[in-house]
Amino acid sequence: MNAAESFNLRLIPLLPFLGATILILFGRRMKRGTVVAIAAGAIAAAAFLAFTAFFQYLPETAEHGGLRDVVWKWIEAGNLSIDLAFRMDALSGLLCLIITFIGFLIHLYAAGYMEHDPDYARFFAYLNLFCGSMLVLVLGDSMPVMFVGWEGVGLCSYLLIGFWYTETANASAGKKAFITNRIGDFGFLIGMFLLFQATGTLRFSEIGALATTGSALAAPYWLGMPMAFWVGLFLFIGATGKSAQLPLYVWLPDAMAGPTPVSALIHAATMVTAGVYMVARLHTLYMLAPVVLAIVAIVGAATAMFAAIIGFAQNDFKKVLAYSTVSQLGFMFVGVGTGNFTSGVFHLYTHAFFKAGLFLCAGSIMHAMSGSGDITKMGGLRKRTPWTHAVFLVCWLAICGVPIFSGFFSKDAIVAGAFATDIYPESLKWVGPLVGTMLLLAALGTSFYMSRLYFLVFTGPSRADHETQHHIHESPSIMVGPLVVLAIGAGLGGLVGVPGGLFGHPEWNVLGEWLSHSVGPEMEVPHNTEMLFMGISTALALGGIFLAQAFYGGGYREPAKKFAAAVPGLVKLAQDKFRVDELYNAVIIRPLRVLSQALFQFVDRVLIDQLLVGGAAAVTDVLGRISRALQAGDGQRYMAAFAIGAAALVFFATRPTLPSELKVNVSGTTVTVDASRTGRQSARGLTYAFDFDDDGRAEVTGTSPEARYTYERGGEHTIRVTVTDPRWHTESHIKSKVELGGQN
Amino acid sequence: MQGQANAASMGDLLSPLGSGEGIVFLLLSIGIVAMALFCMTRRNPVTAVMSLVATFFGLAGIYAMLSAHFLAVLQVLVYAGAIMVLFIFVVMILNREETTLISLRGLPTRVLGVAAGVYLLLVFTRIAIPATVASPAPIPETFGTVASIGNVLFRDFVFPFEAISVLLLVAVVGGVTVSRSHRKEKDAEEAAEKRLAIEHLASHDYPEPAEHLDNADAHAAGGHH
Amino acid sequence: MLPTFYYLCLSFVLFVIGTAGVLLRRNALIVLMGIELQLNAGNLAMLAFSRQLGDEKGHAFAFLIIALAAAEAAVGLAILVSLFRARQTINLDEASLMKR
Repeated sequence: MNAAESFNLRLIPLLPFLGATILILFGRRMKRGTVVAIAAGAIAAAAFLAFTAFFQYLPETAEHGGLRDVVWKWIEAGNLSIDLAFRMDALSGLLCLIITFIGFLIHLYAAGYMEHDPDYARFFAYLNLFCGSMLVLVLGDSMPVMFVGWEGVGLCSYLLIGFWYTETANASAGKKAFITNRIGDFGFLIGMFLLFQATGTLRFSEIGALATTGSALAAPYWLGMPMAFWVGLFLFIGATGKSAQLPLYVWLPDAMAGPTPVSALIHAATMVTAGVYMVARLHTLYMLAPVVLAIVAIVGAATAMFAAIIGFAQNDFKKVLAYSTVSQLGFMFVGVGTGNFTSGVFHLYTHAFFKAGLFLCAGSIMHAMSGSGDITKMGGLRKRTPWTHAVFLVCWLAICGVPIFSGFFSKDAIVAGAFATDIYPESLKWVGPLVGTMLLLAALGTSFYMSRLYFLVFTGPSRADHETQHHIHESPSIMVGPLVVLAIGAGLGGLVGVPGGLFGHPEWNVLGEWLSHSVGPEMEVPHNTEMLFMGISTALALGGIFLAQAFYGGGYREPAKKFAAAVPGLVKLAQDKFRVDELYNAVIIRPLRVLSQALFQFVDRVLIDQLLVGGAAAVTDVLGRISRALQAGDGQRYMAAFAIGAAALVFFATRPTLPSELKVNVSGTTVTVDASRTGRQSARGLTYAFDFDDDGRAEVTGTSPEARYTYERGGEHTIRVTVTDPRWHTESHIKSKVELGGQN
Repeated sequence: MQGQANAASMGDLLSPLGSGEGIVFLLLSIGIVAMALFCMTRRNPVTAVMSLVATFFGLAGIYAMLSAHFLAVLQVLVYAGAIMVLFIFVVMILNREETTLISLRGLPTRVLGVAAGVYLLLVFTRIAIPATVASPAPIPETFGTVASIGNVLFRDFVFPFEAISVLLLVAVVGGVTVSRSHRKEKDAEEAAEKRLAIEHLASHDYPEPAEHLDNADAHAAGGHH
Repeated sequence: MLPTFYYLCLSFVLFVIGTAGVLLRRNALIVLMGIELQLNAGNLAMLAFSRQLGDEKGHAFAFLIIALAAAEAAVGLAILVSLFRARQTINLDEASLMKR
């Protein structure tokens, strides 16, 4: 216990960060070998630690929530208390293994792939940075720490997509990824805030405990839906951004502008799965609101189908794989959306292997084809790149869902779970079968387009030009090695998750057993349903392969050409990705641009620059000018100022004093006026003239400031008092109105 | 009330002008004021100095009317005779005519200054009205003679008298020091000539070369506003 | 004997004329002459009051003022000559080095 408790989980993300720092600071001056050694070494060390933690220490503490490592107190503000802490339970442990292991393989691959690139060190620094951030995301003990990782991987994604930033297209792709992610992150933040409002805590362990039917999370919040619904919904919006679901998937295909290892690691195996991880992590929360899970499932299924259709018509190797990733992520979301969290994570795990393998094969092929990814110009590579072909074959069969290969088990778990789920309320019972059917169709589509890819690239005569054909060669062993390892994983990895219902041996489902401590027990699927859907998906998989063979076996065959001729519009639409990007551009981006231009022109240029900044400067200028005028070196002007000052002094000193208001006392029609002023000398020989009806004739004059007068009639009268200083011969006046009650 | 008092005393005030003394005073003061105005409004410094001398002569007459005989003579001898001669000397050295009468730099401030001065004096004069409207008492014969003033000077005012002698000494020394010719004077003269030439070139109304050689001073003065 | 007030008025007028000259003229010589006028106006007032009060101290004072005026004129003119040598002008506007 002791060793387990004191295990330094923090080292797992720290080592890659350290590697990144060293490479950023000193990488330029290092030799290539050193760079790889540091980068891959950091990941390898992190992998070693992760494996140790997972296999040695975790089983002991699994029931107690896993290993925990608190680094320091991060925020203490009122009710909010967040530590920088890491936690490894089965779920995060599994993902750590995936990230570090596949990350390590990809580092090795990239060592060969990026051989000729001048920015070698920067690449590996970013890769390490990414791995560190992803590990923070996965190991985070509370939502803010996870969010730090979330943002970190977003940043690294941006940096790595736009790695070759000198090409504007690449930089734009990076921007697109980051900005689209940001939109999702806004949703994530809102969800986080709502969660805090409802539960007062952001730690996963505490949220899990609080997510019971009686808690604030289950209480209705808005529109009659419980708080858990809204939290889940907003968090899911963040997930659609990060995991490229409808409507925020648009960045992933563009992200293929980055180097292939990046696509493999970030956009296949790890970053894009963060959304699935998040939902699985908060499974107790989501289970409180089945409606939002239904939404998750429907969005996932729709995305799976949509992306598959687009994948039919793409002609760039990596783009096909990108849409495939979007589609497969949809599968994962259906898995978690039907309450079958184990299957979603299972598919995440198998997908990581075969998709990374597929992407690395893509890199290998592009390497062979002198950098081009255009499949219309490929063909016949089976013989020219045998190792790559072998790996691709395994991964292809895995993704199609051919039995025994890993994808079969995970996909089937999801589909069967969709039909067998019981988490939905009565009104939404139809969601399960609906998404299941959609997934079957999507699986058929997956099989078809992946087979299309296989046949067009590896079979038949080569359609490339002579020059390129000449250069086709197999990749170096440093690239092939990881490929083989991934193929093994893709092929056999599924065997850890053989569903219990299949052969009647539940204990064979090691994965489910592991994950049950984190995401709840595996869904119980009746044996018959299980067998049924295994059969159906196998049939669909093989059907897709044969269909593709008919269309594309050995090149573009007659059926393909006839089909393309028959519905050219549909083909074009799919090729253009259903013009979603153009739609977004017109509806969102252009108005924003117009608005920002308007703001710039008016608010920035006029209001701020001219009025405020310029105005401030102008005020200073004017004041300066005025002050300057006072001292012009002109002696005569100084003398004049002298005289003016003296005159002003005399003027103010000789004014006779009158108060600002006369004190008027009324009794009947007799008025007593007092024009004295307190605080100033009044004994100065001043002469007062009181004019009680403002007719120019003073009724009372004298040296006393007080006077009394009786009016003949009542009503309103105006009293004017004039005081004269006989010595300076200066006067002051004051007028006052007085109301009298009428008498006479 | 005040107005009435003023009206009454105005008549009293102006009545002594009718007497012989009054006429003399009137004539003299008109002359003085006219000459003073003349002085201040001349462009030609020589004319100004001459009219100032005339002013001083008139003032000497006024002093005589005030029974300040000694000072009347002193005014003519020292002021009109010595100080003005000094002025004439300097005017002869520096005789330049003005083209514009009044300085336009910061004119509002200056005019305001003059107005302020007028206001100040008006206030002071009005203060003095009650005390000064009556005819003064007669004075002994010896008032204002050399002997009595000498008495006052050497008895009551001996210290200021000596002090002012020292002051005059200081003035003499200072005057000599200030107007000493420096070695740098030539450089300054040349620099000033150059400056004038440059400003001349830079001014808008660049005159014809012939005129320039002819009357350089006038155009240099006219080149600036 | 005329009322002192007349002489005061004359003094007032002379002083105002002198002040106007001092403040408004450009020629330094004329400015100095204006100062002389101001001094003379003061002198006149001094003597008028002296006459009214029958006290010869005023005469002595006026005497000293004349001596003072002489000294001041001498030094002032010396400075003026120096100015002329340095700036080749006695026009106060031109002689000033500062911006307008």
